[in-house]
Amino acid sequence: MTRNLYTIPRTIEILCFAAGMSCAFITFPEKAGAEQPKAATEATEACLECHAEKGESITFADKTSKSVQVDRKSWLSSVHGGKLACTDCHREISGYPHRKVKFQDAREYTLARGNTCQRCHYAQYTRALDSTHYEILKAGVREAPICVDCHGAHAIQNPKTPRLSINEKCATCHGSITDEFKLSVHGKALLQNNPDAPACTDCHGAHAIPSPSGAEFRLNSYKLCAECHSNEEKMKKYGLNTDVLVTYLDDFHGASNRLYALGAGRPEKPIATCNDCHGVHNIQSFKDKDPKMAREKVVKSCQKCHLGVTPAFADAWLSHYPPSLKTAPLVWAIKVAYTILIPLIMVGLVLHILLHLWRLRSHR
Amino acid sequence: MSQPKIIRRPDGTILIERFSPFRRVEHLLVIAGFTLLVLTGFPQKFYEASWAASVLQFFGGLDRARTLHRVVGIIFSVQAVIHIAIIAVGILSSKMRLTLLPTSQDFRDVFATLSYYFGYTKEHPRYPKFDYRQKFEYLGMVLGGLVMVFSGLALLYPGFITSFLPGQIIPAARLAHSNEALLAFCVLVVWHVYGSHLSPEVFPMDKSMFTGYLTLDYLKEHHNLEYRRLFPKEAAADDAAKAATGKEH
Repeated sequence: MTRNLYTIPRTIEILCFAAGMSCAFITFPEKAGAEQPKAATEATEACLECHAEKGESITFADKTSKSVQVDRKSWLSSVHGGKLACTDCHREISGYPHRKVKFQDAREYTLARGNTCQRCHYAQYTRALDSTHYEILKAGVREAPICVDCHGAHAIQNPKTPRLSINEKCATCHGSITDEFKLSVHGKALLQNNPDAPACTDCHGAHAIPSPSGAEFRLNSYKLCAECHSNEEKMKKYGLNTDVLVTYLDDFHGASNRLYALGAGRPEKPIATCNDCHGVHNIQSFKDKDPKMAREKVVKSCQKCHLGVTPAFADAWLSHYPPSLKTAPLVWAIKVAYTILIPLIMVGLVLHILLHLWRLRSHR
Repeated sequence: MSQPKIIRRPDGTILIERFSPFRRVEHLLVIAGFTLLVLTGFPQKFYEASWAASVLQFFGGLDRARTLHRVVGIIFSVQAVIHIAIIAVGILSSKMRLTLLPTSQDFRDVFATLSYYFGYTKEHPRYPKFDYRQKFEYLGMVLGGLVMVFSGLALLYPGFITSFLPGQIIPAARLAHSNEALLAFCVLVVWHVYGSHLSPEVFPMDKSMFTGYLTLDYLKEHHNLEYRRLFPKEAAADDAAKAATGKEH
């Protein structure tokens, strides 16, 4: 068995590593560290000697088999290519012939090696343990995605570029939602490679993806929208109103939602938040639409929760604009009246009190 | 015309009834109601503040705080209706002296008092049973209370209100309710706390709202017109004595 550890490829690997290191030390002693990837590449070559060949496959206990071929080109052009050696991840393999291990099927192998990435990508791995994906995996759904299901195994590319590729990854399982999203105002912009348009992960997160059907997610969801929609610089480009957050919070629904989000108990009834009126993945722009039609939509949105209310009830919502003399004269007048009245009365009363005290001091 | 109860104690002090037991109970109810309404309402107004959620948690969350706010609000409204109904009956049967109704004399008192404070006049103006400062507070309470009751009802039944009024009423009611509450709270903290607690004239506390009675000396000093109305003989004697001492000097 001990002889097995020093098989020919392993010996070559060690020799190459030694040669590489001494070479580096002799010629560029100060760049010894930078030369290390070269050693990794050479060590990998030893594995690729067999694994780059077509036709090699392994058979699992359930008699299914899987090719063990690794495409040299895609491995080398991946983010890890030339930086990691095969055995950095395949740590259980240390020689040839490989130690035999028994797995029911390919998925069982993948799941058993699920924590491989943790060694280097600790933060991301740990965040993923908080995700709804890990939750359903724990519950026994073997198809729940782990690192390699989204990132790939050997041909891993920078997950952030192109941004559209993020959505493609999610579409593997969430196909219908991704299709719906493509038709939305955000989806269309993303398809045009607009860097401002959100991809799935911008709202849902990449690793710590929370369950979107949970109460916590719903209560805090307005913050996701606000992140871009109250950003003046970003919204200016599209001529969009940035008062959306303030006007929402100043209204009954927004103030309630915020208080619940801050921990003031759990709502007995769901409180309207951005997506209840605007939609979730199918958000459409109202910019070029007829205002009358937009109003009709507001009425319908109200009626979802407030059964049987009149269009006048929906007019209580002043849209995402602060009240003005033109749009809502009564609301505006009350706002202005109190802004003047409260300080005026208070200053008057305080002056009266101070005068009284002054008189008592100076004349008694 | 109703005459207040006058108690002559064996030790010679004379107490004059200022608030009937019913008014004292009314005031206690207002204290309890106002406190609860502020505690459950202000966290909703100042939803940005860090203390808002903690205060609401004390009441068992936002939903429970709202239920409590509505129940107390309705009790407060009923109290307001009873209060106004009694006044209405009092006016119609002409059995009530409207001692808290502002008159033109009160406006003159404001200027007389201010000119006394500034030192332009030597004599302090004489006040009736309730001076203009107290009338201002009472009227503010009643009118502000009505604003709160009606805006509160609009917010409680928005669907019903908008079935016959335009939708703008709801955000308008919300602004009025929230701002009027702030105004009432500020007036209470500044004006009422000064007038009934911190002012050197009554410090640490004007107890008449709880005991119901004022001493004769206090009445003579601070509500001289009422003293003259209730004790015309004594007042005349006082004046004569004062005139005599004035001549001597």
